[in-house]
Amino acid sequence: MPGVPTDGGAVGTVVPFSREPGDAVAAPPVRTIRHGVAPPVSRVYVSFSSGNLLQVACLGPPIPEGGGGRGAQEVAVGRVVEVNLGGGGSGPGGADVEEEIDEAEMRRIQYGSVPAFALLQSRKNALADAAAMSRVPSVSEHAEWWQYVLEYSKTIGSLLGNPDSLPAFMIDDPKTILKDREKPTSLKASWELLEIFFVDKQLKSWLPERFVDWLADYDSLLTKTENTVYRTLTNFQKKLINLQIVEDDPDYWNGLAAALSVGWLDIVVNMLRFHGSYQLDQMDNRETENGLVEAVAVLVSTMPRMRPDLPTGKLGHCCKTRPDFIKALEKWRGQVNKLECSAFWIQCGHQKTRDGLKNLLHIMLGNIKNLTAATSHWLELFASHFLYIRPFTVGFEGMNHLAQKCIQLKPSTDNSGLTGLLGGILSENPEVVLAECTKSFGPWMVTHAMELLTADNDYADMMLHEERPNIGGISLEELHRLVYAQVLCSHSLTWQIAPTYLSSCLNQGLGLLEILLLKQPIQDNRLVLKTLEICRLYELGNVSTNIMKIGGIYHWKHGRKGTGVYWFQQAHDKVRLDRIALQLFENIGKSVTDDSFKVVLSSFTGTEISRGPFSRHKKEGLVSLLGKQWNFSYS
Amino acid sequence: MADSDSLSFRRHPHPYSVDLVRWLPSSISSDRLLAAAVHDPAVPYSNHLHLLSLPDPSSPLASLQLPSRATALRCSPSVLAAATSSGSLHLLPSFFDADSAISVPSGAGFHVGPVRGLDCGGGAGGEEWVTAGEDGRVHVVAGGGDGRVAVRRVWDGKGMAGYEAARWASPAEFATGGTACGVQWWDRRKGDAVVAQCKGIWGHGTVTGIVHSIDIHPSRKHICVVGGSSGTIFAWDLRWPQQPIPLSGVGLDGTAQPVCESEVWEVLFDNYTQSSDIISSTSTRILPVMMCSEDGILAVVEQDERPLELLVEPCAINSFDIDPQNPSDVVCALEWESIGVLTRGRDSMAE
Repeated sequence: MPGVPTDGGAVGTVVPFSREPGDAVAAPPVRTIRHGVAPPVSRVYVSFSSGNLLQVACLGPPIPEGGGGRGAQEVAVGRVVEVNLGGGGSGPGGADVEEEIDEAEMRRIQYGSVPAFALLQSRKNALADAAAMSRVPSVSEHAEWWQYVLEYSKTIGSLLGNPDSLPAFMIDDPKTILKDREKPTSLKASWELLEIFFVDKQLKSWLPERFVDWLADYDSLLTKTENTVYRTLTNFQKKLINLQIVEDDPDYWNGLAAALSVGWLDIVVNMLRFHGSYQLDQMDNRETENGLVEAVAVLVSTMPRMRPDLPTGKLGHCCKTRPDFIKALEKWRGQVNKLECSAFWIQCGHQKTRDGLKNLLHIMLGNIKNLTAATSHWLELFASHFLYIRPFTVGFEGMNHLAQKCIQLKPSTDNSGLTGLLGGILSENPEVVLAECTKSFGPWMVTHAMELLTADNDYADMMLHEERPNIGGISLEELHRLVYAQVLCSHSLTWQIAPTYLSSCLNQGLGLLEILLLKQPIQDNRLVLKTLEICRLYELGNVSTNIMKIGGIYHWKHGRKGTGVYWFQQAHDKVRLDRIALQLFENIGKSVTDDSFKVVLSSFTGTEISRGPFSRHKKEGLVSLLGKQWNFSYS
Repeated sequence: MADSDSLSFRRHPHPYSVDLVRWLPSSISSDRLLAAAVHDPAVPYSNHLHLLSLPDPSSPLASLQLPSRATALRCSPSVLAAATSSGSLHLLPSFFDADSAISVPSGAGFHVGPVRGLDCGGGAGGEEWVTAGEDGRVHVVAGGGDGRVAVRRVWDGKGMAGYEAARWASPAEFATGGTACGVQWWDRRKGDAVVAQCKGIWGHGTVTGIVHSIDIHPSRKHICVVGGSSGTIFAWDLRWPQQPIPLSGVGLDGTAQPVCESEVWEVLFDNYTQSSDIISSTSTRILPVMMCSEDGILAVVEQDERPLELLVEPCAINSFDIDPQNPSDVVCALEWESIGVLTRGRDSMAE
């Protein structure tokens, strides 16, 4: 970096950068650029081009006139070098996301979210316009708003899945505990969490059960360092292949307890069937034992659940209303108690089976000690409370209180990512939620999740839309969208979707959009046409005129006069077209010979035209190109 | 007449900028083959031609590198040709044998600058290529069987006009179109000269525009259909050279809604859509034409009929091709790093 010239030297002096020893700031990386211009380099121009490209123009001293003679070799007088400064760091995903999702996949998600985002914004604008015109806030329309957000949320959620990770054919091994499913990503997990807690109003009464479902899908992502139910089960699965007597292994019973505590009833029932007493040669000897195992399995599969329906393959007895559920729960608990007190336990020979099954029964009765022992992570304990202890917990306050209790019982050091997000949600703290999204999931997540946060939450709405003087008078929502748009602009494949986001930023969006469009390179005609199309869509007439003029000059200077004139005409650039017309008028009107015509034309354009017959056709061509500029007859 | 046409569209992500896509004649194997010209902006000088196969085009079967970004791609029965933005031409008989490629390098002897007009079909054997570039030059390239090519400069406009499209009509005639010069008809028998020109009708009160694509139907060699800027599509019949027939465009027709308002990148005659006018060769109606545009529309337009939209995508459709062996299938190159394959209904009743 140039330092300040100490002697107030000439403008344009490049001063070497000197760093004080012990400076806290690390020295900036120095890159060597090969530009191929013979030294001395007299001038250097630097400017940022589109995205992360830096354009460095190095010019050497001009070749003296008449020097060299005809046989002299050309020395490059100047070169423009493009330096790509990209790579490393600020991609669109945050820390967690970049590990799981590669760049191309992230871009696919970015492309797919554009139509959903645009639709939501247009609906928002339509509602605002209608409200402004009618002056009476339409209650029904505002009440419907969460449904639009839900639709938006589902559309984007479907982009986040990874259906290709499912193996094509799965041989159903009877000894699998955990079935192969599509590989979960924390991006999808966090999106669903926000959808459950902020948007989906239909779920209000069944929120606890919905959370239990969420945990079933994403338990594997909760933490990398600590133990989870998922990890316990996968470890046991690996052991299972070599185990002869399943019920002797304590991990079997631990696994059963863990799965039952988080409500994975189908896995519990499946695992119970691995019990040795089911084997045909053992059936006669261990009849009582088998009876007890089977009884527990039946009780597990008929556990009452406070929810309207269950996905296929899952177990439980669904109750739609509270009174139904209470009745069913009482009856079921009665059955569990009866089994617990029955005389058959004395006849059960196998100690571990007795203890293990009794543990399961205590879990089903909601014994906090057993639940705490069975679960590994506070989130799992939290979910188990919903199933066994307090199934009617609704409302953030109650859930937060419960969460704090669970954290105390099972403290965890790893508090970022999904757990941090949930903490922020339950403590009703949108700032924490946003901060967690930014840190772990990146600008894409923040930009799109803001819509979820404001769906029904007045405080979040106010916090995000309030104009803050400390960030230049823009709102937080706009700030995050601008950050995301900048990330999009830095890649030449995604810059074209940035305008959608920039146009939704009311303060600075349009200004930045104009800068973005003006920075696009004009060498490629197709890209210029695409840029102009964006200008047309956003009604940026002056920007498109500027781009056309620059394009016209570029093509004219490089010898493509027809194209140059075309761009001047499109820009209605009377000044330059008049100059061209005037020059040609003077030349043709003087009835000069073909050769001198070409010399004059070449001096005007600065290019060499080869000698040879210059056909009337070509002259006419140039004349006809200028079209309406001509108002005299050419003979 | 299309009664119950079912459309099935499948989008295949392809993590590059897919510039052009063409069907390749399918060989013995039953998989269909595509050639795609791709460009990876993250890696400098990464411009390739990919050979992809359906139903799974996610990873290319073969890949050939080009010196710069491809700007034109055309397939003849035996050779795939690609022209680039630096002005070179590459003739590739086989994807798997990079050495068999014949290149004509850019430079003073050929083109300087992007070559977008490329077509095969001239000459005695129908294997001569015409190239037309933004530098205003037109060449005819004849490939010798022994791996050498003969390049003949037909025209050097010295920058007076830039050409964007070229199409053979017959072994001795071809059409070109460009920026602000409309469409020209060349006849090689008359000394490689332009025998007819047409400014085109551009609607909206504009005098001129850019021609992006030309197509000529093999059974009606005197008619060419032209697609250009601002959603303009018109047909030019040589028998009435001063009266081009508008097919779609902004402001052309007082009441009808134009099918698109932005650049029409490619037009092709559509053999699958049966014209609603059954009488064929004596009819003066223009056959149905398929087009793709910058606003993401793939549609079939027909003279005096409402356009039929096949796809409305949120991103631009940069290129498309109709499978000559199976005209119900259309492949398109979408702006958002994907390739789309559209299959139109195979009604058992339709023959």
